[in-house]
Amino acid sequence: MKAAVSVMDISKAWGTYAALTNVSFDVASGEVVALLGPSGAGKSTILRCVNHLDSITAGRIYVHGSLIGYSEREDGLYELSDVEISRQRQSIGMVFQSFNLFRHLTAIQNVMSGPVHVLNMPKDKARQTALDLLDKVGLGQKGDSYPSQLSGGQQQRVAIARALAMSPKVMLLDEPTSALDPELAQEVVVTIKALAEEGQTMLIATHDMGIARDVADRVIFMESGRIVEDAPSKQFFTNPRSDRAKQFLSRFSAH
Amino acid sequence: MTMATSHITAAPEFPIIHRRRWGSWLLGAAALLLIATIIAAGIQARILDFPVFLEYLFSPLILTGALNAVILGTLALLIATAIGFVAALMRVSGNPILVALSSTYVYLFRGTPMLIQLIFWFNAVPIMFKTITIWLPYMDAPLVSVPTTVVVTPFIAALAGLSLAEGAYMSEIIRGGILAVDQGQRAAARALGMTQRKVLQQVVIPQAGRIIIPAAGNQYIMLLKSTSLASAVGYLELLRIATDIYSSNFRVVELLAVAAVWYLVMTAFATALQTTLEKLFPQR
Repeated sequence: MKAAVSVMDISKAWGTYAALTNVSFDVASGEVVALLGPSGAGKSTILRCVNHLDSITAGRIYVHGSLIGYSEREDGLYELSDVEISRQRQSIGMVFQSFNLFRHLTAIQNVMSGPVHVLNMPKDKARQTALDLLDKVGLGQKGDSYPSQLSGGQQQRVAIARALAMSPKVMLLDEPTSALDPELAQEVVVTIKALAEEGQTMLIATHDMGIARDVADRVIFMESGRIVEDAPSKQFFTNPRSDRAKQFLSRFSAH
Repeated sequence: MTMATSHITAAPEFPIIHRRRWGSWLLGAAALLLIATIIAAGIQARILDFPVFLEYLFSPLILTGALNAVILGTLALLIATAIGFVAALMRVSGNPILVALSSTYVYLFRGTPMLIQLIFWFNAVPIMFKTITIWLPYMDAPLVSVPTTVVVTPFIAALAGLSLAEGAYMSEIIRGGILAVDQGQRAAARALGMTQRKVLQQVVIPQAGRIIIPAAGNQYIMLLKSTSLASAVGYLELLRIATDIYSSNFRVVELLAVAAVWYLVMTAFATALQTTLEKLFPQR
């Protein structure tokens, strides 16, 4: 089967600092992959490269067979136009650590914004879809609230609904629970877990062991911009191969 | 809860006495006294003949002048906002030529007195360009050809001068507004698949717009008063008309007071407009 996401030998440098070095992995359709590792390991950078919010310095990324951000010609990869890149992003949902809900719009308007302004869907139809999605994340009653009137966990669930409104083939979640206290984080984990059970393909950068162990099928453990270990989730937590992963996990074993 | 309440009601036996700020009261009293002295001196010297003041307050000439000032100031603000928006976008574009052009514009037009700019547009442009000619392609004769002095009326010179000078201020205000929109908002919009233009329309402008309303209101008030500078190029605005009247009847104070009242009315209008906009578009 063709991979939903194919990251092929990518590197990314900020000046002389190598954020990512020769990173390769595939995500199968319907698979949930957690990117684990200490801060600065490059987890978020990978996600931002997959939808070309950041550009890579070498390598290629394919999402459902299309080369992200570039068109391939004989003499190299040429960056796509704004319109073409935007079109690629339509089928890649993203959820951010700091939620980033549009703060001048209500929850329902946030969820409607993609379908209405990107897909030119009629407003009443988009509203119906948005209501369904808000119901799905358990916030059917909060449609008219502004982000500032919602708790962090509620904001993040609205953000997930906003991403889902575009019916993305792949969802990228960038530390979705890191800005939340454990109780609110749990609401979000439940929502993500429900998505996983529906077969939504997801790539999740996280510090949340709950997500990595209970939601993800596979764990990619990173450090300093390189992949240290890539293993099925169960195996990673019970029997990690690398010393670095063992050391990383030992800090959580107390829990 | 009831325990706590009974505790509080039991307190009067031991009241808490806050320290009085005697200094502030003394200073306030002194200031009031000073103001009263100044007003009394004004009344005693009869600097203002009240019937004359009333007579001119609603005179058609003065009202025309006030209206002209409002028209000039409002149009200038709208044009300045458009200029400022473009200059701000150029400034944040990252392109070195656009950035340099925009910052030079802001430096020149913010750095020179408005009065100089107004007189410059009125006098220098007709000398630099004797006639204004508009050609359409594939035509033997020009569509329009008129002497520049006909086009550059006092109104046009004043409007151009005020708009260009104010545009420099507005560009900095708008740039500040754009920069104040969180980077994450833009990232979220781009991740949804919005093009740069959509991001600007749907996210940056609505949010930056709310941020700049108070500062823009401030500029509107300043601009309404700056229309008085247009008297230098002969535009018949409020101050110019008041000056013309008092130079023939020597009622200087009365006419200046009349003008001041109308400037205050304009300012009240601008303030009300700003407050309304802030309520309509609250920052969330």
